[in-house]
Amino acid sequence: MSQIKIVRIHNELLGTYGDQGNAEVLEFRAKFHGITANIVDVTYNDDLPTNGDIYLLGGAEDAAQLLSLEALQRGDNLNILHMAIERGAVILAVCAGFQIIGNRFVANGQEVDGLGLLDVTSVPGDKRFVGDIKTTSSVLGFELTGFENHMGRTILGPTAQAFGKVITGHGNGDSKYDGAVSGNIFGTYMHGPILARNPEFADLLLTRATGRKYAQITDPLALKYATWRRKVI
Amino acid sequence: MRLKLSIFIAKFSALLSKKLLRRTGETIAGRVLLALYPKAISELAKGKKIICVSGTNGKTSTTKALVSIISKLGSVATSPSGSNLERGVAAALMTKSDYAVLEVDELHLSRVIEEAKPKVVLLLNLTRDQLHRMHEVKRVADRWAKSASAAPETLFVGDIDDPFVALALNSAAQSQRISFGGSKHQDGAVCPSCGKYLKWIRNNYKCACGLSNSNPDETFESGSAAYKNATMANVVGKFFGAKPIAIDEKSLERSVDQIRKGVKANIRLTKNPASWTEALKSITGENAVLIVNAREVDGIDTSWLWDISFSGLSGKRIVVCGERALDIAYRLHVEGIEAEIASNFDDAMAKFESGADVHVLAAYTAFHELVNS
Repeated sequence: MSQIKIVRIHNELLGTYGDQGNAEVLEFRAKFHGITANIVDVTYNDDLPTNGDIYLLGGAEDAAQLLSLEALQRGDNLNILHMAIERGAVILAVCAGFQIIGNRFVANGQEVDGLGLLDVTSVPGDKRFVGDIKTTSSVLGFELTGFENHMGRTILGPTAQAFGKVITGHGNGDSKYDGAVSGNIFGTYMHGPILARNPEFADLLLTRATGRKYAQITDPLALKYATWRRKVI
Repeated sequence: MRLKLSIFIAKFSALLSKKLLRRTGETIAGRVLLALYPKAISELAKGKKIICVSGTNGKTSTTKALVSIISKLGSVATSPSGSNLERGVAAALMTKSDYAVLEVDELHLSRVIEEAKPKVVLLLNLTRDQLHRMHEVKRVADRWAKSASAAPETLFVGDIDDPFVALALNSAAQSQRISFGGSKHQDGAVCPSCGKYLKWIRNNYKCACGLSNSNPDETFESGSAAYKNATMANVVGKFFGAKPIAIDEKSLERSVDQIRKGVKANIRLTKNPASWTEALKSITGENAVLIVNAREVDGIDTSWLWDISFSGLSGKRIVVCGERALDIAYRLHVEGIEAEIASNFDDAMAKFESGADVHVLAAYTAFHELVNS
């Protein structure tokens, strides 16, 4: 595969915390691997493309989160996501996006059903977690850094695995784990954007999306940045 | 403790702070005053005609413009530059005056309105900024709307092209709704009034719930942020019977010219996606230095750098520095712009030829350090 399609879902709604950068980092890293990436921005009124390789969701405020959920439940969209998962596409969902793809969450005091793509349930806590976060992920085999800014407390069901073990910060609210993973579906509370802070994770997503193993790329600045953040957090 | 005695002690502490610590002393005075006399703001506000200025961007320069407009009508007290929390307000009000023009932080506006009972509140704009502290834009907008509805004696003036400002003005008993013919808003996808998807046609929005910028009380031509803020300052001035000032955009932008290492630097304050986007438009030359810090007032998270398109810098010579130079360097790198990384500002300036013109965009803390050094 020398071309991939990156679907940035509802950036206008899920772009409040900088997560739109994840798409740009993927496109940039893909180039190093000789892959042409095409970023498709899907807005509230659009249908999801059926042939995406990586679907991205970001953080949002409550009202925007509910609108995004509503749009993803509309028409054939949820079915398109299920079929994408079937064929091995990658989903990366951050913060409000992570809650959206779970079973249930609460926004604006309203408890709603999520998309049910990840076996997690989120409820608001009484304290907002704001600050740097560092985790180590057995799924990835390396440390991740990011920034969290949320009130969510997320409980994992039996079919989801924790994405990262918290070293610094709060993650899912227990200060033990952050996010969840199931196959190629990744959920996390980490902004930064997470793929800018952790370029190896971007490479892993590209590998998963294409089914190919890529040689390690040389991008000293990316490495310097990621290493520095891991050292200071 | 009596108010007069508290003021005396507050002024004395400011003097000590100035003499012994060589600080400006203004915020110390406000802090001490509020500690000794918590109701100082409401007491001192009595008998003064008060104007509050709030918004994400342009507070300081608009406050300055308003001071120059209002000063033709009588004596004016004002906040120490950039000190926009309650202590800055208290410090400003210690001065005897007919008027007070106060710059007020977005999150602190409610309390200041409650206590100072301003005649006029000018709301400039509301966009994402310091989300580690503000958390959500809507949270700030809701506070504004709530305090507007609780202040029937106050006139709220603002730019309704910004849906968050419109929401606050709609909640006020008295408002002067200004439009500049519409403008895009980065956080405008959701109607702040009803939570539905907000319908935009080009630069104008109209929601089924009624929130819209199509029915202003006054319309002006579109222009830069600095022009809009000065125009609104004139509207406020007119309410008190003051003559409008000529709008000089250059002097309204918060920028300072300095010569550093033989290089001519135009240093401009930039602190969030909206102000960066505005400032990037002003870079006409070939050289730029970008300084990024992430202290409390800068915003401790740098994710927002990814909200900004830096593509206009392509082909220019870019040097970055500051505590988070690597964050900006990597963000530019991914956009295809390779910046040189300097260890500090002087080192950055030394990279340019003597006599070169350099645009400097500086984070809040960096700007203040450079301007005060």
